[in-house]
Parts: sequence; structure tokens; C-alpha cells
Amino acid sequence: MAQIKNRLTPFFENITFDREDNELVLNFGPQHPSAHGQLRLMLHLQQEQIVKAHPDVGYLHRGMEKMAENMIYNEFMPTTDRMDYIASSSNNYGFALAVERLIGLEVPRRAKVIRMMLLEINRLMSHLFWLATTALDIGAMTVFLYAFREREYLMDIIEGYCGARLTHAAIRIGGVPLDIQDDFLHQLRSFLNKLPQNIKDYEDLLDSNRIWLMRMEEVGTVSTEMALSWGCTGPMLRASGVAWDLRKEEPYELYDEVEFNVPWSDKGDNFARYRIYMEEMRESAKILYQTIEMYERCVKDGQTDLMAHAPKYISAPKLDIMTQNYSLMQHFVLVTQGMRPPVGEVYVATESPKGELGFFINSQGGPYPYRLKLRAPSFWHTGILTDLLPGHYIPDVVSIIGTTNIVFGEVDR
Amino acid sequence: MAQHKVNYTQDGGLPVALTSIDKIVNWGRSNSLWALTYGLACCGIEMMASGASRFDFDRFGTIFRASPRQADVMIVAGTLTKKHAEFIKRLYDQMTEPRWVISMGSCANTGGMFNTYATVQGCDRIIPVDLYLPGCAPRPETLQYGVMLLQKKIRANHASKAQKAKRLM
Amino acid sequence: MRAYTPKDNVQAKAYYTDRFYVSPQVPRHDVSSDEVFAADLETISSKFTVNESYIEVGQMVVYINASDIYGVLELVRDELSYTQLTEMSAIDWLAKDNTFEIFYQMLSMTKRKRIRIKYSIQNGQAVDSVNKLFRSADWSEREMFDMFGIEANNHPFMKRILMPYDWQGHPLLKTYPLQGDEFAAWYEVDKIYGKEARDIIGPEIRDTANIDRYDSERFARLGFEQPKGTKITGDEEPTVQTYQEDGGVFLITKFDKDASKIVDDPQR
Repeated sequence: MAQIKNRLTPFFENITFDREDNELVLNFGPQHPSAHGQLRLMLHLQQEQIVKAHPDVGYLHRGMEKMAENMIYNEFMPTTDRMDYIASSSNNYGFALAVERLIGLEVPRRAKVIRMMLLEINRLMSHLFWLATTALDIGAMTVFLYAFREREYLMDIIEGYCGARLTHAAIRIGGVPLDIQDDFLHQLRSFLNKLPQNIKDYEDLLDSNRIWLMRMEEVGTVSTEMALSWGCTGPMLRASGVAWDLRKEEPYELYDEVEFNVPWSDKGDNFARYRIYMEEMRESAKILYQTIEMYERCVKDGQTDLMAHAPKYISAPKLDIMTQNYSLMQHFVLVTQGMRPPVGEVYVATESPKGELGFFINSQGGPYPYRLKLRAPSFWHTGILTDLLPGHYIPDVVSIIGTTNIVFGEVDR
Repeated sequence: MAQHKVNYTQDGGLPVALTSIDKIVNWGRSNSLWALTYGLACCGIEMMASGASRFDFDRFGTIFRASPRQADVMIVAGTLTKKHAEFIKRLYDQMTEPRWVISMGSCANTGGMFNTYATVQGCDRIIPVDLYLPGCAPRPETLQYGVMLLQKKIRANHASKAQKAKRLM
Repeated sequence: MRAYTPKDNVQAKAYYTDRFYVSPQVPRHDVSSDEVFAADLETISSKFTVNESYIEVGQMVVYINASDIYGVLELVRDELSYTQLTEMSAIDWLAKDNTFEIFYQMLSMTKRKRIRIKYSIQNGQAVDSVNKLFRSADWSEREMFDMFGIEANNHPFMKRILMPYDWQGHPLLKTYPLQGDEFAAWYEVDKIYGKEARDIIGPEIRDTANIDRYDSERFARLGFEQPKGTKITGDEEPTVQTYQEDGGVFLITKFDKDASKIVDDPQR
């Protein structure tokens, strides 16, 4: 059967395979099951050892920053979902917080508590997903199935809240759109009660597993200097000896009111990162227990506001829109023309499950941001592969990519 | 000597089933649809979820294969960008006939919400598509329903006759 | 006569702005209001020219000269403990005064402070690479080159990073339309099938509300799908989609809805 004619030339036209120095050029990706998306790596090999690595990204570049310049602020919210699509709400939150700081809004306490719940649920979802995929890459199929089972329970809870499994758009500028549903707390509690046992199950499977240890310990060691120089954040940085967690250091929302620890390690290898992810899940569970109490206290104190009151920027509650003329007009203006934040610049960083997620907004007083820069942690975690991979062997590539926890929606934006 | 009267063609007869080549080949094709692991973006996560514990894609005989040479169906799960467009064509060409393509999610169908310079406005500009799944991202149930529809489509074919190659142009 | 649209900024514009609307300004504070920032600024201004400085939303913004950037970043890294270059990129002011504004977002982990160092360059001018000080600038500068066309001197690998190497144009410029130019529109078709395939494949459908009701190949006639080439009369029978044929499937057990068990509590 004749193939459909196309113009694609052989792929490695410009690369010499017959080299004098016995060096092999190996292409990895962009369609590779262990590349966690569309990473393409050009690996220069001496025998099985990598001497030069050249990550090639951009296969998922969709022009989000350009989109932001052509969208009103609220319109951009669903787009942020598609950045780090494993933990969508943390992106929503980062953007909402940046715009709120720009305007100078204070969010009602009940909304803050709900936001924190969503953020921590997202962190758990992301870490479970990380565990599942990394374990699958290394060959531990059982952990993949176990971790996905738990992740589905969390997705049920989120789905009950916002209606979507993956792309939540659950946080608005100025608060949250909805109160949590009736069985949210019950479901969350029953999940959290089971979680320690589940985490112990994973650890029983992995911690003393010989294959796991051989592929994790002393592999992919990132020194402190290297991590700082490459702009690593989140678990990557904490595994390399810097206990830096933005939730502790630059507290946003109510993170200064909850008690939790920041797990860190000075080893810097894959295993240290794995341990940090596992410990962070426990810490997230701890925070979630406290937010449940905080939420119940909010209910008892009769705090019902979910959106900030700022008629210039935020639409009034639905009841007001339906009953009061001025609220309706304001809502109409805000939906059709969009809010106009003050002239100025803001850079706000939040601790997403992957690291420091920053939003830089330059507003010129119009309804569209003049410039929006998304600072995604995975971008630099991919960049570090350039320096990290040389010296390692081919099988280590997969486990290193796994533990850097990169998501390509975020790298390429 | 006992006289047995066996109706071979009915249930309870010998473990033999009579059928036509068409049916047996279509049965084989439709119930072992091996999919290419082609998670491009968010939909890829839902594709993984449908392969994982709750949704359990293996019930359909759908196993994910990492090599296009072993795959029957390509599930384009996620945004296809212009930089990647070349590779979807390469992978599609590497798949063996008969091959099918499921376009999963709005981005693969039409470009979806990413109406920008960097996004291919629908993967059917590059390769012929059999099935479009709406949603952003489609639930795993949607993907499984889509695979069931594809199975039905495969069973409607005449396996004994030569298949006309699907062409984009 | 067609309305004139400015070519130097083709991004979306507010379609209505009140004549008397004056947009407020994010409050800017004097640097002396914060001790740490004041000391930092003192150190920087003792060695380099500081054109402007203020505190905006809790972060100090320092404007310097373009040629000083390497020295300033070295200074803030080694002496002021701003050890991380969090982010750097450019802002396009070409429409206003033909310049780009470059910003470097720095983080000090010991002081828990963030500063933003900025400077302007003319269009076509190159910046100094700080790749030797911060490896993270390696990729940031490549991204800036890709998106704005600003080159960095002394960069080891000044190539595009997000867009393909053979791409034309720099997407984040204000003169670049959101949906791409002529080159972008046909990029994948030209590359894979060649220019002569343009007519066959057809232009991209960029109108998000576009529905061709006679396009039965795609999803326009949901529930009334017809094979390609069928004449649409309007009184077609609805097509019912079932996942199994009525008569059952060879060797496959027919799904019985009544026999299945529905789980109430997902976390049983």
C-alpha cells in the first residue's frame, strides 16, 4: 500500500552518526512513555554513559502568555488550569493571588480556608500522580495502580466541588465561587483517615525494594550550589539542602496559622526527593485536618462571605445581581469589558506542588494585562537536566526525569 | 454401543463455534485494540487514568504500547502544537495497517481554547481521524465509550476485503 | 473607508473606555521605608548608577544602566545574598519609544526579600548574558530571544527554545498577532505536505463560533451524522449511537444493565 506522500526528510539528516570519537547520539522523545510529556532529549553517549545532554522543549508551547495579553483577567483563569494540569487549582490560585495583590484585595476568611483545602488536595493529587508515574517508569506497576486509586478518591471530592476532574477553575479572583458541598468534609475526612495507611503501603513496597534503591540512591545528585544557580525550587531545592518553603517563608492565605513541618534533606539524590514527596503528603494531610477545623469554626462564627467586596473589580453575589439594579449593571460591565486593575507591576510567588509558581503582571490600567510572565518551576527543573545528566547511565535518565517531576504544560506554557 | 447425537453447532455441543472469517478477524481486531501512549497534554492524564485502577482499560483488551509499530489505535490526547505536528505524521506513518485514530479532547479536535499561533487547529489537518471525543478534558468514561464506538466501527468492516487506506488528501 | 488599525500593537484593545476614566496607580513607596532594601540600594548605588528605585507591592524595583547588568547581578549575588535568579524576561515597549524593558527577578533566601532589577535597551540592541552567574539565565535568555528577538552576548547556545528552529517571527512582540501570521498559519502544512497541499487541506478555521451545518464529517450534525458526500435534505432519521450491535457481538457477553451493581460510596 502506497504511503501518503509527505515532505518530511529523514530525521537526523544533520547529525553524523559515524563519528571518530566513538560517540553515539541518541534521541529520546518527544513521544516517549517515560518523558512525562513531550520532552525531547539529545543524548551524546560514550558506551552507556552520557557525556552531553541537550533537552529540547517547546513541543507543548501553546502561547499562554500571548493569550493573556488578549484576554480579560477573569477570562484567563481557565487557561491557567492547563499549565500544571496535574494540580490545576494551584495555578488558578497563583494567578488569582497575583491579581488580588495588584488590586490590593483582601479575601474573606471562609474563602481562604476553602482555597487552602483545594490547594492541599491538589498537592496530594500531584504527589500521588508523581509517585504513580515515577514508580511505573522504574517498573513498579503495583504502586501505579495503588496511587491512582487514591488519586481518584481525591478527584471525586474535587469533582463534587467544581464539576471537573482535571481542569478545575475552582478559584476566582477575589475568592471562591461556591461553598463546599455537603459531603465534602465527610469524604475528605474518610480519605485522610485512610491516607497514612496508604502511604505506609507505598513505602513498604518501595523503601526497601532493592531495584528501587539501586535506581534511586546516589543517582541524580543535585548539589546546593547547582540547585540555587539553576533556580530550582520546591522539592528539588529542599532535597538539596535548603529548607525553603514559600508557605512558611512568605506565608499567604492562612498558612501562618496552621502547623506543619518542611521536610528537607541534604543528600540531593533521587531517593531524597522521593522521601520528601512522601513526607510532604503527610504534611498536607496534617494541614487538611487543621483546615477542616478552621472551616467548621467559620461556619460556627457565621462567616458566609465567599467573594471579596470590591464592586469596582469583583461582581456582586448572584442574589444581588438578580435583585439589585446597580449590581446587575456592574456585573455586566465586568463581564463584557473586564476589570481594570491599577497601573503597576506585581510579581507573586506561591508554592505549587512542583515548586515556586510565580506570576508577573504588568498592568497599564486596561482590561488586558500588558505583559504576563508565567514563572513555572518545571522550566528550570528541565533545564537542570543539561548539567545533571552527563556522567549518568542511560537507565538513570528515566529515574532522574521522574524525580524532577516536570510537567510539560508548565515547561512550555 | 451408545448412540450420541451431538449438535455441534449449538451451545452444549463440542467447544466449537462456527463463524465466518470476517467475524473472527473483526472480533480479534476490535477486542485487542492496542493504543499508542501518546499523551500530549492534559488529556494524556485522563488517558492514563482510564488505563489505571478505577477505569481499567484492560477489560476492553486495550493495552498501551509505547511503540507505534505495535499499536493499532493512536489516541491523540492533548494539544497538538506546530512544533510537534511533524512527529504525529511520523508516528502515524510508522503504525501498521489497519490503524485508527481517536482525537481526544477539544485541542486535538479543533485547537480548542488555544486559538493561538502555536497550535494546530485540529489534528485532522495532519492525519485522518476516525473518532472525535468532545470535552476538555474528556472523562475516562468518554474515552471508553469512544473506544466502544470504534470497536463497533471496526466490526462493520469486511475483513476479507482489502481495506481502502484512509487518506487525508 | 476601512477603519485604521495601528500596526505597532495588534493585541486586543478595550473597545470602550470612559472619557473621564483615570486608572489608579499601585502605590509606590520610597526605598527608605524599608531598612533592608535601603541598605541594599546603598550598596548598589555606591558602585553603579541607579536611575530610579521604589518599593512596589513589597518588592524593591531598581532601574540601572544596561551595561552594568553583569556587575550588578554579581554584586547582589555575592554581597547582598540574592542567590537566586527567579525569573527574567522582557517587556515590549516598541510602540511607545522603541525600547524593550528587561527585568530580573531576584530572591534572597536569608533576608526573605525579593528585588527586581530593570533596565531598558533600544530595539536591536543585545543584552549581556548573565549565564555565568546564574545558570537559570541560560534558558531564560534563550526564551527571551525566542519570544522577543533580543539576543544575549556571550551566551553559549543562542537558539530558539520554545518555537521550532525554522520559525519566523518573535511571537510575544506586540506587532505579532495572537493567531499568527501567514507563515504560522501554513507552517505545519508546508513542512509536512508542501505548499501545493495548501489548497487541498484548506485554511485554518480560526473563528471559534464557526459551524458548517452541512459538514457531516465533523460534529456539526450531532445525532444526525451522514456519510461523506450524502445530500442533506433535512429530514434524516436520527442516528442512534450504541456501543454494541442489537443482535449482540460474536464471543462477547452482552452488557446487562440490570445485572450490574452500582456503588454508592466511592470510598467504600
